[in-house]
Amino acid sequence: MNRYWFCLSGLLLAVLLFGCAGKSSSDSNEMVLYTAHGAKIHGLDPGDIGDQTSAAYASQIYETLYDYHYLKRPYELIPQLAAEMPLISQDGLTYTIHLRNDVYFQPDKCFGKNQKRRLTAHDFVYAWKRIADIKYISKNWWVFDGRIKGLDEFREYTKTVQKGQTVDYNLPVEGLHTPDDFTLVIRLKQPWPQIIYMLAHLPTAPMAKEAVEYYGRDIINHPVGTGPYMLGRWHRGSFIELVRNPNWRGQLYPSEGEPNDFPDGFLADAGRAVPFADRLISVLIEEDPPSWFLFLQGKIDASGIPKDNFSQAIDQRRQLTDDMKRRGIRLYTFRDPSTYWIGFNMEDPVLANNKPLRKAISYAVDRDKYIELFTNNRGETAYGIIPPLMKDYDPNISKIGAHYDVARARQYAEEAKKLNGGVMPKLKFAMPGTDVVFRQRGDFLIKCFRDAGLNIEIDYMDWPTFLDKIKTKSAQMFGLGWVADIPDSENFLQLFYSRNISPGPNNFNYSSPEFDKIYEQLRVMQDCPERTELYRKAERIVIEDAPAVFILHGVAYILTHDWLYNYKPHAFAYGLSKYRRVDTEKREKYRKRFKDF
Amino acid sequence: MLSYIIRRLLYTIPIVFGVMLLTFVLFNVVGGDVSDQIAGRAASAETIAEIRAEYGWDKPLFFNSEDFFDTQFFNHLKNTATFNFGRSWADRERVIDKIKRGAGYSLALTVPMFFISLAISVCISLVVAFFRGTWFDTAVMLLCVAGMSIPYLSFILFGQYFLGFKWGLFPVYFWPDHFPVQYYLLPVLVGVVSGLGGEVRFYRTVMLDEMRSDYVRTAFAKGLGTASVLFKHVLKNAMIPIITQVVLAIPFLFLGSLLLERFFGIPGLGYLFIGAIGSRDYQIVGAITYIGAILYVIFDLLTDICYSLVDPRITFD
Amino acid sequence: METISVNSVSSVAQNAGRSLWSDALRRLRRRKTAMFCFAVIIVYFSIAAFLYAVDIFHIPLAVADWSRQIGPEYQPPGAKYIFGTDFLGRSVFRKALYGAKTSITVALWASLISISIGVPLGAMAGYFRGIIDQLIVWLYTTLSCVPYILLILAFALVLADKTLDVFGWKIPLSGTATVYLAIGLTSWVGICRLIRGEVIKHKNRDYVLAARSYGAGSGRIIFRHLLPNVFHIVIINFSLRFVGFIQAEVILSFLGLGEKNSPSWGAMIDSARLDLPKGYWWEMTAATAAIFVISLALNVFGDALRDCLDPKLRTE
Repeated sequence: MNRYWFCLSGLLLAVLLFGCAGKSSSDSNEMVLYTAHGAKIHGLDPGDIGDQTSAAYASQIYETLYDYHYLKRPYELIPQLAAEMPLISQDGLTYTIHLRNDVYFQPDKCFGKNQKRRLTAHDFVYAWKRIADIKYISKNWWVFDGRIKGLDEFREYTKTVQKGQTVDYNLPVEGLHTPDDFTLVIRLKQPWPQIIYMLAHLPTAPMAKEAVEYYGRDIINHPVGTGPYMLGRWHRGSFIELVRNPNWRGQLYPSEGEPNDFPDGFLADAGRAVPFADRLISVLIEEDPPSWFLFLQGKIDASGIPKDNFSQAIDQRRQLTDDMKRRGIRLYTFRDPSTYWIGFNMEDPVLANNKPLRKAISYAVDRDKYIELFTNNRGETAYGIIPPLMKDYDPNISKIGAHYDVARARQYAEEAKKLNGGVMPKLKFAMPGTDVVFRQRGDFLIKCFRDAGLNIEIDYMDWPTFLDKIKTKSAQMFGLGWVADIPDSENFLQLFYSRNISPGPNNFNYSSPEFDKIYEQLRVMQDCPERTELYRKAERIVIEDAPAVFILHGVAYILTHDWLYNYKPHAFAYGLSKYRRVDTEKREKYRKRFKDF
Repeated sequence: MLSYIIRRLLYTIPIVFGVMLLTFVLFNVVGGDVSDQIAGRAASAETIAEIRAEYGWDKPLFFNSEDFFDTQFFNHLKNTATFNFGRSWADRERVIDKIKRGAGYSLALTVPMFFISLAISVCISLVVAFFRGTWFDTAVMLLCVAGMSIPYLSFILFGQYFLGFKWGLFPVYFWPDHFPVQYYLLPVLVGVVSGLGGEVRFYRTVMLDEMRSDYVRTAFAKGLGTASVLFKHVLKNAMIPIITQVVLAIPFLFLGSLLLERFFGIPGLGYLFIGAIGSRDYQIVGAITYIGAILYVIFDLLTDICYSLVDPRITFD
Repeated sequence: METISVNSVSSVAQNAGRSLWSDALRRLRRRKTAMFCFAVIIVYFSIAAFLYAVDIFHIPLAVADWSRQIGPEYQPPGAKYIFGTDFLGRSVFRKALYGAKTSITVALWASLISISIGVPLGAMAGYFRGIIDQLIVWLYTTLSCVPYILLILAFALVLADKTLDVFGWKIPLSGTATVYLAIGLTSWVGICRLIRGEVIKHKNRDYVLAARSYGAGSGRIIFRHLLPNVFHIVIINFSLRFVGFIQAEVILSFLGLGEKNSPSWGAMIDSARLDLPKGYWWEMTAATAAIFVISLALNVFGDALRDCLDPKLRTE
């Protein structure tokens, strides 16, 4: 018997030692940036990315034609893969873009050995046709849907391709023209002023045909991009490591910015070559406590603040607590381009024909309490759909939109009951989650409704089921939000356009001819004061019809250690790791000072 | 005996078929088609049709009048028999790749956890069984039930906070550049402590059953010392139920630990499973369920064959 | 072994097995701890039954209204708030009481489902043998191959938000129903196996042969003669399995697959885990204590019941 136990424990030790890949490398001259991500990375293929976490890492690997200026506010676009800003024809339908000729893809075996593959205009055309290809099942077709001449027809063609046959990517598309290798001409069906922002949006990144063909569907695991970093190790469901791309053309740290950037230290590295960090390592941590512990131990350079540790980090005056200051931690807050709401299904008979009921709910929800309870005051009360950081934000909105007022809510509720013939059926609310966070929200909403004399039942479901309910218009009320991809408020207003009704992004199934008329007018307008006026007018129509209760706009709180430099928050750009710099000595000192393993 | 082994082997065939049928019924018939969930928000009907075709959900479930073999069930049989579970719909990675990668991490957590807690609980249960009926026995049993009632989560949260963070005795979380053994220490410790209550209770029953046997009474009557009776006779005879327990627990070891892995960032199968439940990834849940069952069938088979080698009286029933 | 069969045969001959029960009850009554535990179990069940009555008859009673705010948020336990208050100022005590209703409902239904599947199947398998036996054994061997927790989670996952169609009645499955169906449908294997074994043992005993010689049908033999004689096994089994069911509810609730619209102990623990780092320990403690007390009571009582009902395991 003894011998067996001995063998067994030997086996056990072997499993422990060799069972898992562990590499300990600690080159002290190497600059490594450590971060954590709270959700899984689904894939690193720009054409298929639909979540922020994946986008954050893919954006270090892939680049787009244009990019946001890192420091300047309001947000401003600058050329990245393009040599200059596009030449736009008089009618706003033709965009001519010249590309840089010094851009190369990262080294990869799909290009053959020692081959430096140069980026050409064809790589854009290929990438965009790929998104149009129905066989590829991209999540990002909405970017191009109905916009570029001939691309929708190309999509129709791919639908006719039978199983087993391949889609012919050489088929010409009228609106995507390449006069030479470094010129791209885009022809639009109708004016589309937002296209410029889309050309800075990750899904429009160029793809090398060789790479896609070499890796097939595994291209999501083998990104081949032009960016400053490329994939090193990626252990799915655990951590990701990005390393420098030796083929990257190089770039200098910006020398201009906002007035405050100089005293804040964001211009200290002006004119130096980026990227600074040699490796980026990010660990997946889905539970809050460990990520907070690791940040305090100095293992992670930057972190959000978990809800439960908020009071430990931030005091009553919204400043860092003394404990945080002692550790040399810095706080950055910035406004998210986001709005969260309770949506009404305007095709639901009870809600659609009862405006007082919708109004009653609008006045019943205690937004400030909600923000305090569930976000630790990391939010601003919403009165309308456009968030405050947008320049189209209406400064008078708080006087127009609904707010928390129980008396008025009760009044409207009485009116609603009369309209409904005396009794009010129990309302149903679809909650996009089943865990404790959502249950607490549900409990809170029940209380708010109850105070206003309304009866509500919360239907908890997981995210996929929720999406399904929304798409099939079978949810009566639902909690949802929108984070803008681009700094243009049209992104929010499209949510109420009647032609976007579910399964489109108009989940409210709201339809108003008056709104549609204004929307169709503003969507083709270039940026100008009249357009801002129209945006606000459209928003007011929505507020009056109350297809949703606007709850809050997010405000992000980020903590960084003092050895991390150049961490200026940005609401739209993701590919910012190249600007970050780490003082590794300072980090080592901190780690020694505070308990660490 | 050879005929016994052959018959026992043949007997696993309907069982494996049953497992395939079970996973099929659960995830294809009851769970059903999740193509609209894969397609995401604002997807067109064509996209959904494309996904249905890709995953084979457009085919009839059991019976196809045109092509008998072109059904979802037949494809399911074919795929599971070859361990081809397709791609996870959340990230389009091959499910089998995920499982292969996760198994090592899970084993590295559960194997030491299992054997350490086995050793400790067998020792404790021996002592407790000896003192059965006394206040000591009652106190330990009370502690065991208390340990079983305290949620697993509390053990994890307290362990991570005090042992990991506050006192800095262990790393609090998995870290890419660490030597792997270090970050397994704390989860193993938490796992052992939290599981001890149930284990001790179980082995106490086993030991008590042995203590009641005649040979123990005889041994005591012979005037043998307590220690020698406990370790020489009781433990030796209790070895059979213990080893059966161990062998049948091995398939579970592959599956890892749901909560421990998630809180300590161990990228094993438990973590994978819990994530798949959250995102309704039937592809992964089905595959892990199937593999767990197949492992169980295999180890069950091995135990029976080993018994037949040891004890020739065993026949096939 | 011999003595037992003689014993039970004679008891059956006298009085249809009643003496086994009265004998067991007599022994049970002598055990003070077991009787105390039984009282605790009765209290839990009464709370659940009482809350059901309150729900059905709409009795306006403060204690039964768990969703009402009774004071400020996060009040520690004290004279005013027995177990303190939660994040919305609701009474943790009331939630814990209500949790008893949810947990006991789940455990009871799960027991009923698994008994009504496992017992008839086991009896049929043991009595008829042959192809029926092989089919049933195949069915439960297959089920028992899948690791229990995976099986339960898989069932709960696919059953969640489904609508059950029973002879035209559409029953939407949500929360509690999903949980007890998942537990019930997966946990009948153990009892089925036990009953099958017992029935095989009893099948050729005199009383069965006698019944058959009178011309009694198979159904009558199984349900009137065999099952009453092996039913104590079901009782023992379930007094011990009940704890497992309660704990399974806790795990499912924790994974977001359980009841959501009314409190359960699992949901309380899950929600308290967010409060624990802030130092609000009472909700976690209340739920844990509630589980601890009933687990302990059921364990002790179940053990005692087994000792008294199953003569083979009698210690005295």
